[in-house]
Amino acid sequence: MCDAKHKLIAWLDHELLPEDAARVERHVEACKECRLRLVAYEQASKTFDAYCQAAVTKNTRHRLPGWVPVVSGAVVAVCLAIVLVMRTFVESQAIVTPPLATTSVPVVVPVEPQITPRKAIQRHHRLVSVPVRASATNWQPAEIAVQIAIPAEAMFAPGALPQGVNFAAELRIAPDGSVQQVRLRQ
Amino acid sequence: MSDDSLPWSLPLPRVISGSSEVTVLFREQRKALLRYVVCLGLSTDEAQDIVQDAFVSLQRHLAAGGTQENIRGWLFRVAHNQARNRQASYDRRFAEPLDRDMEWLTDKATPEEWLLEKEKFSRLAAAIRILTDPERECLLLRAGGLRYREIGEVLGMATSTVGDTVERAIKKLAEKCNV
Repeated sequence: MCDAKHKLIAWLDHELLPEDAARVERHVEACKECRLRLVAYEQASKTFDAYCQAAVTKNTRHRLPGWVPVVSGAVVAVCLAIVLVMRTFVESQAIVTPPLATTSVPVVVPVEPQITPRKAIQRHHRLVSVPVRASATNWQPAEIAVQIAIPAEAMFAPGALPQGVNFAAELRIAPDGSVQQVRLRQ
Repeated sequence: MSDDSLPWSLPLPRVISGSSEVTVLFREQRKALLRYVVCLGLSTDEAQDIVQDAFVSLQRHLAAGGTQENIRGWLFRVAHNQARNRQASYDRRFAEPLDRDMEWLTDKATPEEWLLEKEKFSRLAAAIRILTDPERECLLLRAGGLRYREIGEVLGMATSTVGDTVERAIKKLAEKCNV
């Protein structure tokens, strides 16, 4: 039985008084069993230290860098902005020229104001200006206030028209009252 | 692995503006202190808060004319007590074995070395679980470079008790790990 075996770890840690340390050192030089114990204790200490360091590393490794939330938020904001712009553009493309009123009975079709498209255009005008301007230039009846289609039966007395003849007269009248276009169509 | 990989967000001006002694201590002890608190089972964020508070407390302590004896032990004791106050997460992660997620062992040159290291840590993790709290804390403080007398001051033990506790803990690890 070694008396020094209970002082080996304190000796490794330099915690013994000088005379005790010298005594243990002499014993270790002569005792193979205590040398083996010392090796085991040193290994355990080193492994424990490495384990502590690994625990810190592991704990640290899963941390996100501070810039990640900022960049993620910016990316999300940009994506939302793109989606909003694309949606606005698609809606503005969907606002097509309102079909010209061509009826077989005399009817006055006010080309303007078209309430629904106007509202849509005004709303979109605040968001994006370019697509709205493009659609405005394509709106053919912009200069026309009223378009009238008059069937032939309404213009002539009954029986005045030859059998089989049928047509309608289309008139496009500008806002100033002038007739812009007269067209006959069957 | 470099110690510099540890995140550190302590606002330096708060400490540096105090005294040069605190600054020196901050540079010398912050990593060891942070490692100790993390190994007690707290998250890195919690550990950073605790270490930061410890240095701020130290600055106040010195400014108020407090004793300058064994400042390192004083710092560890403050951090230890604050960690104890956060019992909700205390002791949780350090007892958790690391063997489920071992890719951090990238400094090992060969797969054989990697496997040996992994196996060794797995055995050690199991051995750490059988340590008592004082044994584990003594080993952690010893790994942080504290002397037995300082460990005793941190944990409120006699120096001789610290020696016995360290010896008992190391023997347990050596036997269980068979290293």
